Amino acid sequence: MIRFEHVSFGYPNGETTIEDLSFHIQKGDFVALIGANGAGKSTISRLCNGLLRPLSGRVYLDGQDTLITPTSQLAKKAGFLFQNPDRQICENTVEAEIAFSMKVQGWPADKIRERVAAALETFDLQGDWFPFNRSRGERQRIALAGVLACEPELLILDEPTTGLDYLECIRIMDHIKMLNLEKKITVLMVSHDMELVQDYAGRVLVLSGGKLLGDGPVKEIMKNEPLLRQARVLPAQIPSLALAFGDRFADVFTIREMYEAICREKGRGICRAGREKE
Amino acid sequence: MIVADHVTFQYAESSEPALRDISLSIDDGDFVGITGTSGAGKSTLAMALNGIVPHEWKGDFYGSVKIDGMDTVEHQTEDFCRKIGEVFQDIDSQMVASVVEDEILFGLENFGVPHGEIKIRLEKVLEDLGIPDLRKREISSLSGGQKQKVAIAAILALEPRILVLDEPTGELDPESSREIFGLLRKLNEEKGITIVIIEQKIKLLCEYVKRLIVLDKGALAFDGVPGEIISHIETFKTLGINVPPVAELSYLLRQSGVYDGGITLTVQEAEKMVREVLHDPV
Repeated sequence: MIRFEHVSFGYPNGETTIEDLSFHIQKGDFVALIGANGAGKSTISRLCNGLLRPLSGRVYLDGQDTLITPTSQLAKKAGFLFQNPDRQICENTVEAEIAFSMKVQGWPADKIRERVAAALETFDLQGDWFPFNRSRGERQRIALAGVLACEPELLILDEPTTGLDYLECIRIMDHIKMLNLEKKITVLMVSHDMELVQDYAGRVLVLSGGKLLGDGPVKEIMKNEPLLRQARVLPAQIPSLALAFGDRFADVFTIREMYEAICREKGRGICRAGREKE
Repeated sequence: MIVADHVTFQYAESSEPALRDISLSIDDGDFVGITGTSGAGKSTLAMALNGIVPHEWKGDFYGSVKIDGMDTVEHQTEDFCRKIGEVFQDIDSQMVASVVEDEILFGLENFGVPHGEIKIRLEKVLEDLGIPDLRKREISSLSGGQKQKVAIAAILALEPRILVLDEPTGELDPESSREIFGLLRKLNEEKGITIVIIEQKIKLLCEYVKRLIVLDKGALAFDGVPGEIISHIETFKTLGINVPPVAELSYLLRQSGVYDGGITLTVQEAEKMVREVLHDPV
């Protein structure tokens, strides 16, 4: 779905430089892009859909070279959710906002009406709301509804859960995961939240200073504490706790797994409802 | 000291109150975190605590907020702005200058600080925040963490006794977020500045704040020491607020009877707990 071939990029002011970066993301993958502020995550996400173009090397989106393909054409394949929804929302009603991208892309009016109605229901939004005085979480849902209404094959999420509370976060991420599993939408998610990454991503790319430090299955990367520290990434709590015990909890990744492993070590049955089977 | 007494506030364009019958007091030297779901009233509460609500927002305000005994309704916001500094959620909307030094000077000049003192305060605040090297930098060239420090510096230069911050680490990576919280802890411990911080990142709050206030639909749901109130894990989840994974682990182990200590909030505390449960040498 996305192929980076020896990509280099730098901003005119010298900020964040990507150097000779190559990787390939398959259709249907759920990939997390992690690293500290300034590591190049947002730059890479913008190189994927032609918002930025490589200075050297090539980026291919579904086989299309982003250097020579118009952004409007790339936008039909790649939906992009900004970290800050206020950089995305431009219409005065939620209904118009969700319809905006579909109109730009030339969707038929009846299809637009149908998809707007479905999006309002899925994301629990009201069409006549003025988007700009809704809460941050609601504005994020509005922006995502607009992106997903166009049925992109690739969904790029730049810190999608910033400013969202736990329930909103679960709700949005579960919906994205469902689209990933059922509709095979490819997801590229930039995130600082390692609990979120371990819960949803299948593969992780670790970035530092515009270079790829690591690339592997989520469980492997989450247990590679030296790699995460090198990338200035704070590991998720449970894998980090498990690592403090060497190989003893090598397979432990989640709260439940840790709890069960401790119960096993204690030689007891596993408590499921507050009572334990001896 | 800030005392809120039965505060209810409803925005003019809203059909429901944003704050419902809130009573609390924030003592000098407190380090308070305020959390809750989106729309729980966190930002409104922060604005009510420094008089911005009801002065700058139209709506119905009931009850009272007193800052050092001064009623926020009876006084104007300029009467409090020397006592309370606020760092907004969107720092770009707070910045007025293009160079760091000018950003800090802006507030000092507006506050009428004597010319001779301005330079001293500028240099001191840059030093206190560990950013003297940023003094001549263009703000647009700074990272998110650096910008946040500049926003805090510009407010601290005005020497407020209370600092209110609305999600100051929203767009920062975990390391930069911890740096900001570490800085706030230092300001609280060494300079006695009262800190009120609105934040969704529960792991950070649990690690740094002395007191945690949880809002639910505009009302006070919890108010206490993080280690104590986080033990109400089921209620937190019902409210839509996540708890640190290690807190949930300690809760499960407590439920099963293999552990009878307190809720753990950090990985270090959890490691100690697990070693204790497994009778491992620490």
